Amino acid sequence: MIRRDFIKKTALTSAGALVAPYILPSGRLFAGTGSRSANHVVLVMFAGGVRHQESVGMRYVDGSQPQETESGNIMYNMLAGASPDSKIVFGTGDNGINPIPPILSTPLSTQGKLYTEVRALSAGHFGGLNSIIQGSDFSGQGLKERPINPTIFEYLRKHLNLSATDTWFVGNSIGGSLPLLNYSSHPEYGIKYGGNFFAPLITFGSQGQEYLGNAKVYHPENELSPMYQLKVFLDNNFANNGRVLDSLGNTPEEKQSIKLFMDSMYDKVQNGTLSLPPVTDNGDTATVGFAAELLSWFKPSFSVVNLSAVDTCHSSYSGYLKALHRADHAVGWLWNYVQTQIPEMAGNTTFICVPECGRNLEPNAIIDDNNWYAYDHSDQNALRVFSLYVGPGFAPAVIGSENNPVGQVTDAMLTAAEVLGVPASQFNTWNLASGTMSRLND
Amino acid sequence: MQDSNYTKIVEGDSKLGRLALLATATAAALASCKKEQEGVFELNEVELYDSSADKVRMKSNEQFVSILFTNLFQTGISTDIVFELNQCFMSIGDQELAREVLISNLFNTSTVQLPSQEEMIADLDGFIEETYKRFFVRLPSEGEKTWVKNFISNNPYMSPELVYFSFALSNEYLYY
Repeated sequence: MIRRDFIKKTALTSAGALVAPYILPSGRLFAGTGSRSANHVVLVMFAGGVRHQESVGMRYVDGSQPQETESGNIMYNMLAGASPDSKIVFGTGDNGINPIPPILSTPLSTQGKLYTEVRALSAGHFGGLNSIIQGSDFSGQGLKERPINPTIFEYLRKHLNLSATDTWFVGNSIGGSLPLLNYSSHPEYGIKYGGNFFAPLITFGSQGQEYLGNAKVYHPENELSPMYQLKVFLDNNFANNGRVLDSLGNTPEEKQSIKLFMDSMYDKVQNGTLSLPPVTDNGDTATVGFAAELLSWFKPSFSVVNLSAVDTCHSSYSGYLKALHRADHAVGWLWNYVQTQIPEMAGNTTFICVPECGRNLEPNAIIDDNNWYAYDHSDQNALRVFSLYVGPGFAPAVIGSENNPVGQVTDAMLTAAEVLGVPASQFNTWNLASGTMSRLND
Repeated sequence: MQDSNYTKIVEGDSKLGRLALLATATAAALASCKKEQEGVFELNEVELYDSSADKVRMKSNEQFVSILFTNLFQTGISTDIVFELNQCFMSIGDQELAREVLISNLFNTSTVQLPSQEEMIADLDGFIEETYKRFFVRLPSEGEKTWVKNFISNNPYMSPELVYFSFALSNEYLYY
């Protein structure tokens, strides 16, 4: 029997085990929850530092670059508004003169709630990402350390009894301490309630292919089962010394499913059959392709996808515009993929998109090939962002304005929790930043 | 100064002068041509732990893969591979799963140093003792030896490879 056939046959066995109801750690068959407005939430951390002016402000280069007055919307899958007519550099082809055609005929902002003036809690990446994931502010949080407060993954897994493969974090890299964000160091939560994590560009990239892509396939019952039994014996003996190692808690069936998913990804990468946005020429778009594959395989209740290519804005404003345009392209494609390629999630999924921070009002001194100035992120303008909520229960609306800010980035995780049925009474026990609100029933 | 002395001694052509010249030359040769002592590289004897309780520090990913390679291939691993493997580990949230996938990849190579099934069965006590020493750097207790021996004897699919797999995946193997 060739290896792929064997995998498929064992997959069927595993699938049977996965779909069967199982007794939850609490002893209940299924988790008791509040009502869900959708069975799935995809939280896109539209991150890397997205300047308010070029995104929801739709000002393109007007005001940001000397002598330039061209304005317009380069995120037309997410936002409603006319695109710029000239000075096009964000598309494909030589000098980016060809804008990427829209994926969605109806922008997401007209299908859900767009908050146009939202407050970020940090002008930095790690602080901003932490505030989205934890729902709390950054005070006391060390760099290169796990979140000190529970993450949304842990809240959901603990309070909704979600299994490990029901929550996923898809990172676009392993930089910036991103792999630390799938669970906290909080003593009452921690790894056993953490979300699964992949940085697919690494896991399924050349390194992953070389070192992880040729796994030997063992028979689940005849070989893996006794192997695990002996491991349990060894671990129990070691635990007698007081050293018990917690894990994410993927069950053997879940592990088998993850391994099969990995194998499938290695095959698809090798064969060039991976689902990808039409324009996939940077890390964000490729990451979103893997995220779509992951959603299709696991159909998780909750998933987070991180993007960050726009951070090239530290040194290239034109590169930033390209990345912003592609991030919008990727989000539009992912939404469309969920609605058309994953029947179990179609019409039953909420998308939440929020940047972790913005960028400065004034540029730095770096000029790119188009003589345009670059932008860092450290001032008050870098705390201006937007948020977008689309899915069942979010009636179309545009909320807030420059003089009337509504909402903050921490709202995203609380909204996800409420969408998935965490009772609101539970929120009072969570360590949330002041002013954090669920936007489900705004 | 040395030159003028040398000239004077040669010019004097005396026995004493010749002896002095010889002694000086010999001393100079000994001093200037002393052979540098070469470093000696050899494997240190590793002291076995008395018990697993002595292991209190967790291995880093780099340490884990380096030691794993040595245990499975009886040879070292390049720093480039260690670096890339560490990146692979960081890209997967479930570290136990990552280790499992890596180990199963390594077992899919032909150069893994494994005893045969027949060798294992022929000397089960010795195999178990060697496995504990190889992976845990300690000897098994009598209780451990008995349990593992019975387990292998009662599980016909339990090959040396799967025994090594269990040990490499165990929590104790993560500590030193």
